[in-house]
Amino acid sequence: MTTLSVDRTVGRLVGAARLRQRLAVTVGVPALAVLAALSVGAALMAVEGVAAMSVYGEVLRGVFVLDHGLTDTAVAATPLLLIGLGLAVAYRAKVFTIGAEGQYLVGAVAATAWATAAGVRDWPGAPLVVTSLLVAVLAGGAWAAVTAGLNSRFGASVVITSLLLNYVATALLAWAVRVGIRDPGSFTPQSREIGAAALPVLPGLDVHLGFLLAVATVPLLGAVLARTRFGFRVDVMGANAEVLGANEARPARVTLAVLLVCGAFAGAAGYIQVAGVSGRLTPGFATGYGFTAIVVALLGRLRPVGVLVAALTLSALTIGFDVAERSYEIRSSTVGVIQALVVVFFVAGDALARRST
Amino acid sequence: MDTLLTFATLAAAIRLAVPVAMAALGEVITEKAGVLNLGLEGTMLCGALAGYLATRSSGSPWLGLAAGLAVGAGCGALLAVLMVAVRANQIVTGLAFTLLASSATTYLYERSYTLGQSPPRIERLGMPPLVALVIAVLAAVWFLLNRTTAGLVITATGEAPEAADALGYRVARIRTAATVAGSALGGLAGAMLVCGPLGLFIQNVTAGRGWVALALVVFARWRPELCVLGALLFGVCDAAQLRLQGTAAAVPYEAFLALPYLVTLAALMLRARDSRTPQALAVPYVRGAR
Repeated sequence: MTTLSVDRTVGRLVGAARLRQRLAVTVGVPALAVLAALSVGAALMAVEGVAAMSVYGEVLRGVFVLDHGLTDTAVAATPLLLIGLGLAVAYRAKVFTIGAEGQYLVGAVAATAWATAAGVRDWPGAPLVVTSLLVAVLAGGAWAAVTAGLNSRFGASVVITSLLLNYVATALLAWAVRVGIRDPGSFTPQSREIGAAALPVLPGLDVHLGFLLAVATVPLLGAVLARTRFGFRVDVMGANAEVLGANEARPARVTLAVLLVCGAFAGAAGYIQVAGVSGRLTPGFATGYGFTAIVVALLGRLRPVGVLVAALTLSALTIGFDVAERSYEIRSSTVGVIQALVVVFFVAGDALARRST
Repeated sequence: MDTLLTFATLAAAIRLAVPVAMAALGEVITEKAGVLNLGLEGTMLCGALAGYLATRSSGSPWLGLAAGLAVGAGCGALLAVLMVAVRANQIVTGLAFTLLASSATTYLYERSYTLGQSPPRIERLGMPPLVALVIAVLAAVWFLLNRTTAGLVITATGEAPEAADALGYRVARIRTAATVAGSALGGLAGAMLVCGPLGLFIQNVTAGRGWVALALVVFARWRPELCVLGALLFGVCDAAQLRLQGTAAAVPYEAFLALPYLVTLAALMLRARDSRTPQALAVPYVRGAR
């Protein structure tokens, strides 16, 4: 009786210690990576004779105190959050796609083509927004399905095929705005304005509806991953694809499913960026969000809430530095270096933490 | 279309192909040993900046090429520490490194001249020595991989690292050496781009050529001679695309932009299960784990 209760207490203590350790690695490594990167950033600024602490103060002021700081951060975080969520699902299954950039572009092109097509563009706002989002989701998913198909049918590497398709998507965007869906009234290559397919700005918040949609997806996706058979399969596949194949489901099916999810999220992000921010497609629409979102997914530990925190952190850094640049003699590449250092420190720290446990 | 295949287009194609071919030759060595180096694009960028700065301060583009080679090797050493010694995920590490290289080279380049002044152009090398360099490296890599014991050992570490280990070869050491050697050629490729046809450095000057080289290696089924041919095909498409811009051609120029990638995808369909794919590619080797 007493031995049993002692066993239980010891067991509970060991469990608690393990939990604490896991928590320390989960939260500690990303937090330390951010701190270390900010320190290197401070050192770089010090070399140039800029007071780093005042710069960081200005960054914080730009985000939290000045008008639009928080709303700009939210808007900038929206595509990163959406794409990052989709990538997190794929990466949990150890399907390392880097094709989100292409899926994002294809989603944007397809939705813009739909929303500006003759006959459709006169529709009222609500059905136009819903159908455009659907088109973007389907287009992004279809683009990702090509990678899944080549992988299951021919055994082609997901990394390489998804990478190649990014370039095809970039060419597609260039052709679409120059010829395919070009605004006939415009001298420079660009699409028509999407008009009623634009997302409404939330009253009193100064943020477009897309941000709210993206944030609402976070608990939803969290529940799907934690509670459904799909979420379970994703995690089993991430742990061991052979076990999954032997007991649960065909790995090729799960690969297809996670790639579809990834493509759907990236496609949706493409439409939401057009509908919430740019209003039309231009040749410069490709800005590398698909790649930055990889960072967001990793820093967020492939967990929906983590992805939300990471997306907001990275975009706050960008927005805050934009403000700081106006007051201090720093160049815009500084924030890029700091963001990249966050990732490198995180990757190295994570691998080291895994090795020592 | 009839104006496409002129001598000038071919010359442009070779000019565009040369750095890509060099980077792909480097990546073949790395991948043969079982390391997938997605940091190639970043390594090329670092090599390009090193080549530019060294040429600018010394006046000799040859020194620029040497600097690119050395900095590329340094990048390879850093990548090998992370991917081979620490055993961080190769895909994630490569991506992170490229991201860092992209912003770090911009940062350093911006600081290499005073604001408001236009950065100086550098002395350039003509195409003949660069083409000769590619042919020489092609011969060397082909000989190394197909005719030497070292090549056999490299292939073995990429195919069956546990077998190579059992025979007494140090897997980690060979993979590190292959990553450093491959990255050195990647850095050289970046320097060739800047010290050759371009003569200047701009932000992200490589414009995805490292990624192209990675795809080429698959397209070429890990054979160095096919890497160079594939680079030429890429160069022809790129030159055609540049030539067609602004003309009202029946085929849109974007088709040529996408063509090399579509051809590579087609090649993947035909050859993905090819036995030439290193079986342990991107799989970290843990001694004793099976």
